[in-house]
Amino acid sequence: MKTRREFLTLTASVAAGAALGPRRAAAAPKAMTVVRESSFIKAFDDYFAKTLLPEYEKLTGIKMSYEAVSVGGMLTRLTTIAETKSGPEIAMTAINWPHLFDSSLVDVTDLATEIGKKIGPWHDNIFDAAVVNKKWKALPWGNIGQLEVYRTDWFKEAGVSKFPDSWEDLLAAGRLLKKAGHPFGFELGHGFGDNHGWLYPLLWSYGGREVDKDGKTVLIDSDETAKAVDFCRRFYRETMFEDVLGWTDVNNNKSFLGEQISCTNNASSILVVAKRDFPEIAKVTDHGLNPQGPKGRFHIINAVSHAIVNHAPDPAAAKAFLRWLYDDKQMSRWLASGDAYYAPFLHGYDNHPMWNPEPRYLPYKESLKTARLHGWPGPASHALSESVAKYVLVDMFAKACRGDSTKDVIASAAAQLKQIYKAK
Amino acid sequence: MAVRPATLARPAPLAGRRSTLRGVLEREGVFSWLMLGPGVLFLLAFVAYPFFYGIFLSLEDRRVASPGIFVGLANFATLAHDAVFWQVTRNTFVYVAITTVLKLTGGLGMALVMNQAFRGRNLARAFLLLPFIVPTALSTIAWMWILDPTFSVVNWLLVRAGVIASGYSFLGNATLAMGSLIVVNTWRGMPFYGITLLAGLQTISSDLYEAAAIDGATSVQRFRYVTLPVIKPVLIIVTMFSVIFTFGDFQLIYALTHGGPANATHVFSTWAFDIGMLAGQLGMGAAVALAILPALAVLIVGLTFYLRRE
Repeated sequence: MKTRREFLTLTASVAAGAALGPRRAAAAPKAMTVVRESSFIKAFDDYFAKTLLPEYEKLTGIKMSYEAVSVGGMLTRLTTIAETKSGPEIAMTAINWPHLFDSSLVDVTDLATEIGKKIGPWHDNIFDAAVVNKKWKALPWGNIGQLEVYRTDWFKEAGVSKFPDSWEDLLAAGRLLKKAGHPFGFELGHGFGDNHGWLYPLLWSYGGREVDKDGKTVLIDSDETAKAVDFCRRFYRETMFEDVLGWTDVNNNKSFLGEQISCTNNASSILVVAKRDFPEIAKVTDHGLNPQGPKGRFHIINAVSHAIVNHAPDPAAAKAFLRWLYDDKQMSRWLASGDAYYAPFLHGYDNHPMWNPEPRYLPYKESLKTARLHGWPGPASHALSESVAKYVLVDMFAKACRGDSTKDVIASAAAQLKQIYKAK
Repeated sequence: MAVRPATLARPAPLAGRRSTLRGVLEREGVFSWLMLGPGVLFLLAFVAYPFFYGIFLSLEDRRVASPGIFVGLANFATLAHDAVFWQVTRNTFVYVAITTVLKLTGGLGMALVMNQAFRGRNLARAFLLLPFIVPTALSTIAWMWILDPTFSVVNWLLVRAGVIASGYSFLGNATLAMGSLIVVNTWRGMPFYGITLLAGLQTISSDLYEAAAIDGATSVQRFRYVTLPVIKPVLIIVTMFSVIFTFGDFQLIYALTHGGPANATHVFSTWAFDIGMLAGQLGMGAAVALAILPALAVLIVGLTFYLRRE
């Protein structure tokens, strides 16, 4: 805030917005649409589309529509919305998309501040994902965490009663389990989430980094990266099987539920589906935090959020809807319907009842404390998106696992990153 | 009956207009453009505009939702120094070359068999078209299950038959992954060759075969000197179309491997999509997509000249 006058102006507008609430929308558009990627938790989408939207419709008279995009397709949809400047007024964002679409999104700092005061404060690590040039460009509702999902019965049979706390201990457990016919299966192919979900944390936990905070200094060529790569190669060879190199996101879920693997890295969707369709497997499935390496323990952030696109005919009406949605009366019910799949970034929900029915989801809440955005500590830039889309990190590890030398795979990743980050 | 001159005179202007309009419409130049018009408009809107816009984009540093900055050929220069680009180029040519040879030989064989008279021929023809008719996204899901190491019916059969001890990693091993994609593309594309070549075969008069047989030609000679020369133009056209389609193949690869493992199956179309849509680098993505153009242009021009000469 530059001056006291600006501060007063902002405060006044926030207060006015809060006072007007959803009533402001009554004078606004006849209809609005929210577009989001389908959730793995059907009840979560259903609660939004069949309970919350009709409630808002009844309250304001605005016809609310919900457009569901298939899993993995939201970035493409958002691109078409931004490029054509048409379509839904409110769109889902994830990973670093608020930075990618910065110029197409409405500043929602006032709302974020308001929500933070009411049910926050916000977790510190969310700022990297949602705040662009000191302006909030999206309102996160939760994190889709990526944790270790494992079979408690097979681990016990192998003599491992507690989930290993370090990567080396997990490797030791994996050796025993593979010998017993229960290999691990961690995605090393070109999926959209489960690969980066464990490979960034693995790199970070060994002290490796893709790029420095300045977004210009490529750091991948380091001893720390080499150690992470060497570990990954051993981890793959001694606990897994070749197919994981070609896996996309569906494969580890299928394989776990097909009782082919004893451990993987995934969101809680495996347990959710197991509870519904494979109750016997659900009984012996649990979650563990990512193991720690020599330089700590890390997890990935995938902050799913709502953003308002700036071609919306009435951004104030869209804001009014989000203000209503992110009110505890609505948000609390909505999150509870999601089976703890989304871990909220608001400290006011640290002890929310949503965590009570199933203690096995608690590690997803715990993981937020050590969660970082892809490419951390580099900025959440276009270059970061390019690195993710080109699978630079994933392929570095995958090539090492298939037999390429550590030196070669790091050199190849470094060359790609230097080109992407335009570094010398 | 007496005819009043006035009655005859009144309709004259209308008839004149009609004849003028009809006359204009019946002029070859006008009529042909009327017939061509919708097609030309369609091509301009959905082929020419995206094509030239693609060229325009490829000359810009154009990030999603941001204005572009003209950079000339810088995107192409960047690609030329990117090892993955050359890997993608190699993958694309291997994929197109092998699938084309397989589809061509397989399709020709299919057409020759389908051209014979046998019971249930029409049913067989209908079934052979199925891979081409079923939407690629659907058939790819079936292949996903077939190639899945855990649930693969191929692996299951091989293991049960004692041929192998454990299943192949069809999509995890770089060579097998490319091989698997080639098999699936061939399975899907062969009927296109088969049916088109069958149409060509059916135009060959049986007199030619009879004459060749009387002259003592063997079946191989009849194929070499009668069948092949007649269907050669069809063969070239169908190959040209197939090569163009295969260069642009996307759904199958994207659904099965998404270019993995470690870029072993990325082709121009899948890589261009990732860079353009997932990385938000629309200019660079367009440059990757346009990288196919020189190869396709050489192929099309070469084949067209060959056809004209023939």
